[in-house]
Amino acid sequence: MTITTGDGTARDAELLRVRNLTVTFPGRRSAPWRRPGKVVAVNGLDLDLAGGETLGLVGESGSGKTTTARAILRLLRPSGGTIEAAGFTVGAFGRRVPLGYRRAVQAVFQDPLGSLDPTKVIGDILAEPLAVHFGLRGTERDRRVAALLEQVGLAGHHLRRYPYELSGGQRQRVSIARALAVEPKLIVLDEPVSALDVSVQSQVVNLLEDVQERTGVAYLFVAHDLAVVRHACDRIAVMYRSRIVEEGPADRICESPAHPYTEALLAAVPDPDPARQRIQRRRRRELGAPAPTGAVPATGCPFASRCPHRMPVCTESFPDWTPVTGGGRVACHLHGGSPTTPEET
Amino acid sequence: MTEALATGTAGAVLAPDRSGARITARLLHSKATLFWAAVVLVVVLCAVLAPLIAPSDPLKGDIRDGLLGPSAHHWLGTDKLGRDVLSRVLYGARTALLSAVEAVGIAAVVGIPLGLLSGYLGGWTDRILMRIVEGVMSVPFLVLAIALISVLGPGLWKSMAVVGVVYAMTLVRLVRGEALAAREELYVDGVRVAGAGSGRIVFRHILPNITPPLIVQITLMIAGAIIAEATLSFLGLGAQAGDASWGSMLSDAQASIRESFFLALPPGFAILLTVLAFNQVGDGIRDLFAREAKAGSMGVNPVLKAAGQGEAPPAGVFVDDPVLSVRDLTVSFPQPGAGRVAVVQGMSLDVGRGEIVGLVGESGSGKSVTAMSLLGLVPDPGRVRAASIRLDGRDLAGLSFDELRKVRGGEIGVVFQEPIASLNPAYTVGDQVAEVLREHAGLSRAQARERVVSLFGQVHIPDPAARLGDYPHQFSGGMAQRVMIAMALASGPRLLVADEPTTALDVTVQGQVLDLLLELREQTGMSILVITHDLGVVADVADRVAVMYAGQLVECGPTEEVFRRPSHPYTEGLLTSLPRNVRRAGRLPSIPGVVPPPSAWAEGCRFAPRCAHARPECSAGPIELAAGGRDRAARCVRSHDLTLTGVRALAGEPSAAPLASVRIEKKP
Ligand SMILES: Nc1ncnc2c1ncn2[C@@H]1O[C@H](COP(=O)(O)OP(=O)(O)OP(=O)(O)O)[C@@H](O)[C@H]1O
Ligand SMILES: Nc1ncnc2c1ncn2[C@@H]1O[C@H](COP(=O)(O)OP(=O)(O)OP(=O)(O)O)[C@@H](O)[C@H]1O
Ligand code: SF4
Ligand code: SF4
Ligand SMILES: [Mg+2]
Ligand SMILES: [Mg+2]
Repeated sequence: MTITTGDGTARDAELLRVRNLTVTFPGRRSAPWRRPGKVVAVNGLDLDLAGGETLGLVGESGSGKTTTARAILRLLRPSGGTIEAAGFTVGAFGRRVPLGYRRAVQAVFQDPLGSLDPTKVIGDILAEPLAVHFGLRGTERDRRVAALLEQVGLAGHHLRRYPYELSGGQRQRVSIARALAVEPKLIVLDEPVSALDVSVQSQVVNLLEDVQERTGVAYLFVAHDLAVVRHACDRIAVMYRSRIVEEGPADRICESPAHPYTEALLAAVPDPDPARQRIQRRRRRELGAPAPTGAVPATGCPFASRCPHRMPVCTESFPDWTPVTGGGRVACHLHGGSPTTPEET
Repeated sequence: MTEALATGTAGAVLAPDRSGARITARLLHSKATLFWAAVVLVVVLCAVLAPLIAPSDPLKGDIRDGLLGPSAHHWLGTDKLGRDVLSRVLYGARTALLSAVEAVGIAAVVGIPLGLLSGYLGGWTDRILMRIVEGVMSVPFLVLAIALISVLGPGLWKSMAVVGVVYAMTLVRLVRGEALAAREELYVDGVRVAGAGSGRIVFRHILPNITPPLIVQITLMIAGAIIAEATLSFLGLGAQAGDASWGSMLSDAQASIRESFFLALPPGFAILLTVLAFNQVGDGIRDLFAREAKAGSMGVNPVLKAAGQGEAPPAGVFVDDPVLSVRDLTVSFPQPGAGRVAVVQGMSLDVGRGEIVGLVGESGSGKSVTAMSLLGLVPDPGRVRAASIRLDGRDLAGLSFDELRKVRGGEIGVVFQEPIASLNPAYTVGDQVAEVLREHAGLSRAQARERVVSLFGQVHIPDPAARLGDYPHQFSGGMAQRVMIAMALASGPRLLVADEPTTALDVTVQGQVLDLLLELREQTGMSILVITHDLGVVADVADRVAVMYAGQLVECGPTEEVFRRPSHPYTEGLLTSLPRNVRRAGRLPSIPGVVPPPSAWAEGCRFAPRCAHARPECSAGPIELAAGGRDRAARCVRSHDLTLTGVRALAGEPSAAPLASVRIEKKP
């Protein structure tokens, strides 16, 4: 299978292949004697990612992004579907995940402070994967730790600091360095810059790009801000309430979205130009109905309750995938039959 | 209640660190705990040095010297068999502590690993272990001990081993609970992904993180074990007749209670003092950890009035009809290794009537501390000084805590970043908002309820009457922030201070909350000070913007003008590094480096180390905020000769056309 990337080139080397991934959690009991209901956090999700590529996964809070990331990292066990990554079939793992998989697939989490053990200094945090995977110790390990620090732009004096003694951006660099320690093929980044200052956000995005250029690592970049994702990713998949509703090259998604939800997400990104933002705000008010609560409707389009383009068919059946001109595909009843054209109608 | 909430959040946001060193420092400050720790030390010394300091052999005595009163020769007298009581008390400390160490040692060696495994592995291991623990703990402790001892035969070491096993069950429960909670922490996922196996995660990562509660529990257990030893020895199940143990001394004293009443006092007092000391130390440590978790925000400091009027700020800072007017605000905190350092320095700011002002800057630039100062909520070691803080002409500087409390929550409303964390999880949201109304407006229960419903309606919470009875965790982040805003609006404030009101929310919800703020300003005419690090938020809602860097105001003016043509390189840096929805060319622009810690702020321009336009003259001396036109001000020596990049204006007239809209093609 080939994948069309942002610059239009096709790549064959498939690194991550997710098919029909479904994750359910036990929900709240409606009454103490009832069985708990089910929360479908991820529903029939497909993803493909090639080596050296960056795929963005965006969507509002609760859409299932983190759950998808955790399933790929095998931090939770999905209730259905298959995940193949870096030559491993994740579903076949038992309780103990093979070290080889941990080497190939690494992660950086949203909360830079929470994801580092507060009782360990930076030097120990970075040394741990080297000890676990390569059995390194002594001067050889110290040398590697120093090289990692340098790779992410930190200095030697940070080695003896505790995580709470660093700034948010520095902590996120430590997380990235820890992920890089084992030379992975894929890094799952769950909201890697959401907790950082804007000025530091772009430093971290630039750093991720430098690392990718040097090592050819691929990223799955989870975020809720489309503007950041556009700059960091080749392709974007948009999630809404447990499903992917649109995917395609980053620039195409952000310039001519095909799904009404993608459009609403774009309208929510504030622009620093006050004149432009006034238009944007009007747009946001037109599109930004509050998210519904409760279970996702069993039939029809999950976005139907908020969609300004809703049609009768929308509540009857879930829309099929339709290819979009300019790359990617969309699941919306507005589109269908032949590929859509870039002009507005 | 609002008070406590507000302070708690303030502390949490500002917590600079929480290291072991700080705990030790606090420990040294807590005099009571220190005293009891000294008592413990004395008991331990007595136990260790008993053979050296005891005046005579505790086990030998001449029956002819029996039951002597205190004298120079026998300070505490002798018992029936003529043994020296003081020596027996000293050796008794030895017995008590050794027994305690044995029992607690067994409890720790058995209980901690089992608890960790049970909590971390969960599933069947956990279920079986917990059934056993519950079984053991359902039998009263003394009954169990007596039953086991009747099987094993009496003897101090055997009985204390039994005590140890019972204590182990308590530890299993405690450690399991802690491990269960720690298992969900993100750092555990972090090391799991790094490839660490279960053993490594449990013993190298979870265990060090749960040591604080363990230390507390173990200290309290030592006290318990000392009582257990005394009880068992008193009953004759522990130390054997004749052995020096406080328990058997009491039992001896009972036997000769008719002849001498005094004999019971020394062992009784020894037990009381030792147990009390261990309990007090345990409670003290628990207190310290608890306070540490709240970042030590035990009190707040009012705003002191600075001498004189301070220097008048340049024209660009004034507005004609200010609701809030801050002059020369300085806040200092003790910084590690640097003494007291000003983290906000010479801040002056006006907020006009009905105006929305955006206060922006990177993390650590002093935005929150500035906001806290207006409310008199700067946490304890902080010192606040201002020439004046005028709210509608009334000076808040120099007011007492109680006077300030009427202002805050009355004339000034506050909204914080973490909406759910800022609400008390134990009360319904309706009660929490009503509480504010009843306190500040003196409404009755029914009136307050009615008003809360209308407030909830005003902030667009769907079905307000039904949601009054819900608890905070039943709200999404966006809805919880609406509740916070409703609470801030409750008393009809003239100024709303919103510290990062949308930072914890996702972009779609952020848009709705910002729209709400704009709408409320429209309806009520109140002024809003919005603190944020997102320039997009400022562009969206703020009429004027104030940019802070390293504790100083560096630029100030109408949002549109400042963003189009910034006069300070820092503003330029913030603007250009903001990701926008435009096609990207090359690397993302960013400001190199980070905000230095307050102790390293330079004498000259504080931005110089990160500024692309820096010249030697920039670092020569302090740089003043200077007016640049009628309503703008900047703190940069080169602001007049630099042409800085702002946001690009739209090509052509802004039209009503959507920026990026869906391309619709109907199905054929
Ligand atoms: N452990 C869990 N138990 C029960 N429900 C869960 C659990 N984890 C997630 N969920 C539910 O699954 C859904 C998806 O959550 P997820 O964390 O994946 O969303 P997200 O897209 O990452 O959102 P955010 O932007 O807030 O991080 C939510 O409705 C959430 O309440
Ligand atoms: N309780 C405190 N004790 C010691 N220093 C403090 C305390 N509170 C704040 N500070 C210091 O004051 C400076 C300014 O902090 P402040 O929280 O106001 O920044 P901010 O601009 O609000 O940043 P953020 O965007 O992270 O909220 C920081 O350098 C911080 O270390
Ligand atoms: S399928 Fe219908 S409801 Fe769903 S997004 Fe498309 S038009 Fe809107
Ligand atoms: S004073 Fe100098 S260093 Fe400071 S911002 Fe202006 S140009 Fe840059
Ligand atoms: Mg998430
Ligand atoms: Mg702050």
